[in-house]
Amino acid sequence: MAKTITIDPLTRIEGHLAIRLEVEAGRVVKAFSAGEMFRGFEVILKNRHPMDAQQITQRICGVCPISHGTASILAQDEAYGIKPPPNGRIVRNLILGANYIQSHIIHFYQLSALDFVDIAAVKDYTGNDQQLRALKGWIADQISSKVMYPAAPFLPRYEAKYLENAELNIAAVKHYLQALDMRAMAHQMAALFCGKIPHAPALIPGGVTEKVTADKIAAYQSRLQKLQQFINECYLPDVMALAAAFPDYLRMGKGCGNFLAYGVFPEDADHSQMLFPSGVMSNGRVNPFNPTQITEDVRYSLFSSPSGLPPSQGQTEASPHKHDAYSWLKAPRYGGQVLEVGPLARILIAYAKGGNAEIGKQVDAFLAQMYGGPEMLVSTMGRHAARAIETKIVADRCAEWLDQLIPGEPTFRDFTIAETGRGVGLTEAPRGALGHWLDIQNGKIANYQCVVPTTWNCSPRDDRGIAGPIEQSLEETPVEDENNPIEATRVVRSFDPCLACAVH
Amino acid sequence: MSQIDRREFLRYGVRLAALMGMGRAALPQLAEGLEQLTSGTAPVLWLQGQSCSGCSVSLLNSDEPGPVTVLTQYISLLFHSTLSTATGEVGMNIVHRAIEEGGYYLVVEGSMSAGMPEACLMGHEPITRLVSRAAQKAKAVIAIGACAAFGGIPAAENNPTGAMSVPDFLQREGVSKPTIRLPGCPCHPDWLVGTLVHVLKFGLPPLDTLGRPQMFYNRLIHDQCPRFADYERENFARTFSDEGCLFLLGCQGPLTQADCTLRHWNSRVNTCIKANAPCIGCASEDFALHSSFAFYPKDELLSAKES
Repeated sequence: MAKTITIDPLTRIEGHLAIRLEVEAGRVVKAFSAGEMFRGFEVILKNRHPMDAQQITQRICGVCPISHGTASILAQDEAYGIKPPPNGRIVRNLILGANYIQSHIIHFYQLSALDFVDIAAVKDYTGNDQQLRALKGWIADQISSKVMYPAAPFLPRYEAKYLENAELNIAAVKHYLQALDMRAMAHQMAALFCGKIPHAPALIPGGVTEKVTADKIAAYQSRLQKLQQFINECYLPDVMALAAAFPDYLRMGKGCGNFLAYGVFPEDADHSQMLFPSGVMSNGRVNPFNPTQITEDVRYSLFSSPSGLPPSQGQTEASPHKHDAYSWLKAPRYGGQVLEVGPLARILIAYAKGGNAEIGKQVDAFLAQMYGGPEMLVSTMGRHAARAIETKIVADRCAEWLDQLIPGEPTFRDFTIAETGRGVGLTEAPRGALGHWLDIQNGKIANYQCVVPTTWNCSPRDDRGIAGPIEQSLEETPVEDENNPIEATRVVRSFDPCLACAVH
Repeated sequence: MSQIDRREFLRYGVRLAALMGMGRAALPQLAEGLEQLTSGTAPVLWLQGQSCSGCSVSLLNSDEPGPVTVLTQYISLLFHSTLSTATGEVGMNIVHRAIEEGGYYLVVEGSMSAGMPEACLMGHEPITRLVSRAAQKAKAVIAIGACAAFGGIPAAENNPTGAMSVPDFLQREGVSKPTIRLPGCPCHPDWLVGTLVHVLKFGLPPLDTLGRPQMFYNRLIHDQCPRFADYERENFARTFSDEGCLFLLGCQGPLTQADCTLRHWNSRVNTCIKANAPCIGCASEDFALHSSFAFYPKDELLSAKES
């Protein structure tokens, strides 16, 4: 007899996610992932001015607004027939790159690490680091002060087996604290060129509004160098150390095993060269990506609009009491196939395609340390490793893009807003493949559809009843203690779910 | 209060007094306000409605006090769904027990799906019901960000969920509590930290008729704009990325009350107008609500000017 366990809310992700597990003999046999919130962005966008879209869609998500803004201005660039000048394209990359860095750092340290690292170990800290001593004193004070929940929001937590190596625990807690400053610094880099973040005012069709000046380049570079040091000396080694300490998670949480990337960070005006290339990886082979293969099913989603539509014809009609439906996410499929998106997809596709020696080198180094082949990446820890490797690749490339900027050259090319037109903005958010489909009629938005990374990863079952990537990744996951199902939360968090994005 | 000594408190106090536009005379009381926050007597319960978490991310961009200080010394954060280690039932138990005992400051991020309660659930319960219960037991409610404060994008024209701002929703529910609106998309971290300290030491800060702290929202952006001289001289930007006053590109500075042009964002490195980007009025009470009110009516305004 299967027992049902519900994890609701699944915290330390963005947004409202509930996971339901059916567990038999200590293993998950079925999993259901439910997005528990809906705002209706696609409905709200209708009949608005097309240029409202890059501001409104950024507000889908406070963690990756730049990606939504980017998808929207790419769709508008196409609809208006405009291409940004070189400075504009590069500054867009630098803004997006900065947000990748902040997003990946916060995901590993603030959202995921406390599933593995024992933050309580700081109680026994005897060293001289001022921040750690302060944290130790604070926890001790909290525990003796009889407050309702001492050391919240860090405690309480699931009772489980956390990392036992004292030195590693202390280093990771130290880096947890440092990471908060580091991610804020990455946001400062973005803001130098985008005005402010979250929710950047400077993203605009035709380029960006901000100009390139030598002082901005220097201010970005100075912060980037500190981040590169943190990535090389803390983030990458910490991921390696956790992977070595929890080797089971190099096999657990495999998922559907097939991957999709739209490609991101254009290196030329025509987007023919991307830092991370597009592709569909099916059974280990990479095929070219064709956007017309994308459809969204809604049989188990809380929508009454027709199922199986391509996003260019997409509809969003809420139906909160629909029979059998259990999620506010649609179920995106590619030629009917379930695909995982995200850093792991980007890294695997880039690795398989070759062409970027540094990605090859980093992936090989990780696998050599873990004594495994590429299949080992398709796992809970593999996702963390791919994300860390990607952070390094992006940060190093940002340093090179800075060198390509020319102060005083334009960042923007003027355009006329189309009365009628269509555009598709395909990019990659930190969490994976992101597309916006725009249709303009009579100078207004006639239809706007977003297919978002976590919509792919957290999708409910499709019309054929086939489970989504996270649902599949949970199958076979052991659950040692039904009251503390930490194994499942570790698997889910490795995808870095963003529910506000997914439901929009 | 073992981790921050008095001198450090005063240092933060000076900074906060500057943030809030208060004189040095307020300093000793401010330092006490900080101590109270630190002692764990001022718990904060943070609930998310129809939100994007952008205000939470923005709070982490707080600088002097930095995010570590905010989390361990300023705020005794009982529960926050993006930051709490507690998950699932462990997390919901905290929320339920906190509500049972009361006495916290309730921060709500995101709008209330009043017309479709199923459109936002947490722990099997509509967030509307949870917020209504939590507000009744709170010392005060802080509606953080555009969505909680005024409804924002989820409450825009044609929205399918009947979304409402938190104060409007609580009024409809008949819950009467001191409620502060901190609009902005997102809310600036200084606006939240400054407000919390004020609430603790001096009680509610002076609010305007819309419930916004006057210390942050009492003047128009336009009146504090570094490009005000350009406006006076009719030196207008004709397109994006131009220098000059951004009025003809649709700048909402003349209609929006906030101090961003003076305060700046992300450790003060930049702000919208400084980046040649028109203010879109994200702190205004009408932000995004009306579909016919475009953010960038560039062509309309320019042709009107030229004709």
